[in-house]
Amino acid sequence: MPPMPKAHLGFLLALVLGGVLSGLSDRIDPYHLDVLIGVGINIVLAVSLNLIAGHTGQFSLGHAGFMAIGAYATAAVTIFLGPHLIGDTAAPGGLAENTLFGSALLIGGLAAALAGLLVGIPSLRLRGDYLALVTLGFGEIIRVLLQNFEPLGGALGLNGIPAYTTVFWVVAAGAATVFTVGCLVRSNYGLGFLAVRDDEIAASAAGLDPARYKVVAFTVGAFFAGIAGGLFGHFKMTITPSGFDFSRSIEIVVMVILGGLGNTVGVILAAVLLTLLPEFLRPVAEYRLVLYSLLLIGLMLARPQGLFTFRTHRAVPRA
Amino acid sequence: MSTPLLQLSQATVRFGGLTAVDALDLTLGQRELVGLIGPNGAGKTTAFNLITGLYAPASGSVAFAGRPLAGLSPHRIVAAGIARTFQNIRLFGSLSVLDHVRVAGNLHRAAAPWQALIRLRAFRESEAAVTRRAEELLALFNLERFRNTPARSLPYGEQRRLEIVRALATRPRLLLLDEPAAGLNPQEKIELVALIQRVHREFDLTILLVEHSMKVVMGVCQRIAVLDHGKKIAEGPPDAIRRDPAVIEAYLGPDHATALFHH
Ligand SMILES: Nc1ncnc2c1ncn2[C@@H]1O[C@H](COP(=O)(O)OP(=O)(O)OP(=O)(O)O)[C@@H](O)[C@H]1O
Ligand SMILES: [Mg+2]
Repeated sequence: MPPMPKAHLGFLLALVLGGVLSGLSDRIDPYHLDVLIGVGINIVLAVSLNLIAGHTGQFSLGHAGFMAIGAYATAAVTIFLGPHLIGDTAAPGGLAENTLFGSALLIGGLAAALAGLLVGIPSLRLRGDYLALVTLGFGEIIRVLLQNFEPLGGALGLNGIPAYTTVFWVVAAGAATVFTVGCLVRSNYGLGFLAVRDDEIAASAAGLDPARYKVVAFTVGAFFAGIAGGLFGHFKMTITPSGFDFSRSIEIVVMVILGGLGNTVGVILAAVLLTLLPEFLRPVAEYRLVLYSLLLIGLMLARPQGLFTFRTHRAVPRA
Repeated sequence: MSTPLLQLSQATVRFGGLTAVDALDLTLGQRELVGLIGPNGAGKTTAFNLITGLYAPASGSVAFAGRPLAGLSPHRIVAAGIARTFQNIRLFGSLSVLDHVRVAGNLHRAAAPWQALIRLRAFRESEAAVTRRAEELLALFNLERFRNTPARSLPYGEQRRLEIVRALATRPRLLLLDEPAAGLNPQEKIELVALIQRVHREFDLTILLVEHSMKVVMGVCQRIAVLDHGKKIAEGPPDAIRRDPAVIEAYLGPDHATALFHH
């Protein structure tokens, strides 16, 4: 029996940690628990966007759109199908409920992944600012569609979503995201994401299909954003289309840029930092976006490679 | 005669009103080492971009091993067996030297991408095989000491060499080299000539070489085709090309014939 790969070990440890935290959640201050869940959801969002924008270099401003699709699809399953599937008498936190939630999250993730695929394909011809515009438009379209779709609550959104999100689910989703993205980009195949980001023409000269890599990045990234949306909805118990607007996408982009594009550990740290920051700055919460913008500008000037990127490569001048 | 490996027939590339490659006929047989030369702007790089699928011909055709390449995207043409280097080196700035060669080994990777998540033995063996092959190539080309160096920190001469190694990692049958000696010092040029000859011999390859350095071209090529304003104006063995009046005139005008080939 070969030793278990480190990535798997980390993943399992995270699941155990999530289970333990979940078991102890009665004893944890509910406010801290809320913050912890918020941090976990943002880690899923930031690490999945990092696959698209950081590793593959596809600057996307539509991540909240994928999140919205996942949130609504997951909630639709648990609200409309849940009672038929597990009845009203299922034990809270029991196996039936968690199986339902797990399946619903999977459906939410797949729905978002499908959207990622559909956005990824037309985006192939675009890069840079044009891609940013199209993905921004996508996010806004999703929001407007949801606002006008009465079966899912229209502008008022969906209420009464069951509170299925536990620390365990959040830690598991965070670990699954980090594990998947990490294993992918470390593999021979996944080096192609970085190659496509660095130089598409050179990537195709190395036999890689840049279009396919971009679509895969969008699809996988959207999948996890959808899961994050599902967790978010079953945590807040209510979702509205305006909760997934442009500024939500920007928040995630800021985490990725702050952490350093393509730097998974940095992006996780940035997600933690930026989730905690508003908590510490409660009195000025309404200026959060201003603060983000200022932070971003300051960072771009001070550390263009990202707050948590420490390896710097000096170019050797031409002899 | 057997099917030629590469055949351009009346291939033409236009940019608006400019005909960059004009009804070019060019045939490469198995294991040939052919030079493609011509003054600046003659259309050499455009011919490479045509063969590798970056540009589509306005008319005419390109066939590889008897199979037309029309409509194939660049990465499929690489998979078919044509690899290249670029006149203005195109490396992956953030990837290490080893990763450049690993990533180009993806065409010959046994495991499917999703297996990265399961990491069964088959996956680990497939990954190890690609890495081993990449390491062998680096060793062969004296790049192993730069194994973990990011490409953008690599000295210039090594960058040129790495580009060739990356091309070889796709296991091509035809290698297109676009001015591999550009920017090299005289010593590096001598090494490059030896390297091209070795690659040609040991990798069982056909090579098409674009090069301004006449020392390099005359030194290694068995046959040379000359482009001027997109048209082929001469083709033949180096000695004949050296003396061809049309070639001399295209390069420097009638008075400078000797200056060209003696430095
Ligand atoms: N993408 C493009 N769009 C418009 N014109 C182009 C393009 N690429 C090349 N050209 C033009 O086509 C002609 C041939 O250029 P090409 O780069 O093929 O020449 P070359 O023989 O490789 O020259 P050099 O020796 O300088 O590399 C030139 O006039 C060039 O300006
Ligand atoms: Mg050129």
